[in-house]
Amino acid sequence: MFGRLVRESFVRNPRRKVLVAAALVVGMAVATSTLTIALEVGDRLAREFRSLGANLLVTPQADTLPIEIGGVDYRPVNEGAYLSETDLGKLKTIFWRHNILGFTPFLDVPATIQQSENSDPILAMIVGTWYAQNVSVPDGTSFKTGLSVTHPWWKVQGRWFHDDANECVIGSALAATMPGVTAGKVIYVTSRSPGDSAQGQPGTTQAIALKVVGIVSTDDAEDKALLVPLAIAQKLSGHPGQFRQLFVSALTKPADTFSERDPLKMTPTEYDRWFCSPYISSISFQIKTVLPGTDVRTIRRVADTEGRILSRVGTLLWIVTLAALGAAALAVAATSATTVLERRAEIGVMKALGATNSLIAGIFLAEQLLLAVAGGAIGFVVGAALARSLGASVFGTPASPRLILFPVILGIAAIVAFVGSLIPLRRASHFNPAPILRGE
Amino acid sequence: MATLVQVENLRKEFGNVCALAGVSFRVEAGEWIAIMGPSGSGKTTLINILGGLDMPTSGQAIVDAIDVGRLDESGLTRFRAQKIGFIFQQFHLVPYLTALENVMLAQYFHSSTDEKEAREALERVGLGDRVEHLPGKLSGGEQQRVAVARALINHPKLILADEPTGNLDEANEETVIQLFHELHREGHTILMVTHAPSIGRLADRRIAFAHGRLVEVPASLKTSL
Repeated sequence: MFGRLVRESFVRNPRRKVLVAAALVVGMAVATSTLTIALEVGDRLAREFRSLGANLLVTPQADTLPIEIGGVDYRPVNEGAYLSETDLGKLKTIFWRHNILGFTPFLDVPATIQQSENSDPILAMIVGTWYAQNVSVPDGTSFKTGLSVTHPWWKVQGRWFHDDANECVIGSALAATMPGVTAGKVIYVTSRSPGDSAQGQPGTTQAIALKVVGIVSTDDAEDKALLVPLAIAQKLSGHPGQFRQLFVSALTKPADTFSERDPLKMTPTEYDRWFCSPYISSISFQIKTVLPGTDVRTIRRVADTEGRILSRVGTLLWIVTLAALGAAALAVAATSATTVLERRAEIGVMKALGATNSLIAGIFLAEQLLLAVAGGAIGFVVGAALARSLGASVFGTPASPRLILFPVILGIAAIVAFVGSLIPLRRASHFNPAPILRGE
Repeated sequence: MATLVQVENLRKEFGNVCALAGVSFRVEAGEWIAIMGPSGSGKTTLINILGGLDMPTSGQAIVDAIDVGRLDESGLTRFRAQKIGFIFQQFHLVPYLTALENVMLAQYFHSSTDEKEAREALERVGLGDRVEHLPGKLSGGEQQRVAVARALINHPKLILADEPTGNLDEANEETVIQLFHELHREGHTILMVTHAPSIGRLADRRIAFAHGRLVEVPASLKTSL
């Protein structure tokens, strides 16, 4: 009988049902699209932000004491210890390995550059790095990384060097001081490694001929340097297989109060939650675990900007979602109030015959639930299409529908329908049948 | 016979208006009582209080040993479902349910539905061939007979009928009154509000109201047919 009452009640007055369903469809469509985008926006924006550069800097722990002013690290990185290149594959074994988008080692070597064997030498910094290097990962796979991933905004005229060739890319400022140097020209680089006085090893002189293949603009100190494959810088410096700095580009979620807490003071549950969240602090911690003896620092200017923008975008999406849901709830409330008033006589008869308030509320709620399911399902489809279109226009690629959102949206629709019906139902439960039956 | 209804000094006030001004009477089980009087005399108010649809301001209204005025909302709901069979002047059938479903609705609110019993109830009021009809497809008399079947389906202790023939033509009025005769013969206790002296005279007793008080029953109504 309950099903019959709900079914009959549901099919009656279809115009009003359509109005409720339409309100729910609009609300759920907006909620679906914003939630779909909210789920993707972190990844999408974080990937976009990665074009701003790496957000983590790994240096040898024994290097220097920290000098941080206003959140910016001013430690010099040109002296001290070295890190091993062979350990870098371990970065792709941490818990958040898939969030490590790329990393690039750097090794600076002071050297002299000559355009020909007889020309005047110019003192310059040689920066050894990777452009697109295949790194072996301990699980047997390989991972291609380098400047192409971590420093995509560095623009080169000509092309980048091959990591295994005697090639180089000259910084634009340095190239300006060497008028004859253009792409295709061979230059000569000479360096003197310091040796090890403690072990009685004398310094050695290394000279290498390199083919210039491009002129790079970085808007940074590298404009005054000569960029060479890491292996060549290692050879020039006399530190094979070693480097000084590692820039890591990692997808992270915005920092919050919890992420800033000291993991050593967390409870086991809090620690698990922190460890299993892609906070920049937890990823730094995991990197330090696989690269012992290192200091992992957040490049705060980048991370903080990302965090602020992600938080603001997230807040905006939530505000839009809540506004849409609130509007839907108000529409449901207005329509439900009218429906309850229209069916006042029917409610009065049912109460006179012995229907309990909960049973009458149940009939109306079941009806609203059916509308919520219908409105939620249609709203999900519309919202998924909307998200697809928004994703395409904002991020360049359409946002794929998230099926996991379907039950969530149905649940939200049910809650909205329930909340919207609360006041009318409360009113219905207070109907006194006597005056209704008298026709008052 | 045992007393089924006992009304003692019953008062009901709506703001400054006194609808019942200290009414007292008793009804024995199996009696058919006609409650008569002009409009606004308090008849329907009395029926509503006895049926648990309204609460007295003071005094007692005891039905089947239950003091209606002391029941809370859920108690009143149970009381209406289990003890009372209502028959209204306007029929008050649920418009989107068939005749059969309207009868089963009362069963559902009481305990559980029994379609066979509901069909039998409709056959008894002469609507065995109209069970699947919606109220809108039935005549006034037929709708009131559905209401009678609905009122009887849970075997109530007390049938409260408020002007049950007020909206019926003469032929249908006759059919419905015949049903009340049968119910009375079967031992049902009936309190019926009516304006019609001819119907009032069919009852075992008549209670007359004026301005919320019991008054002497006019001589014209004293003789049963």
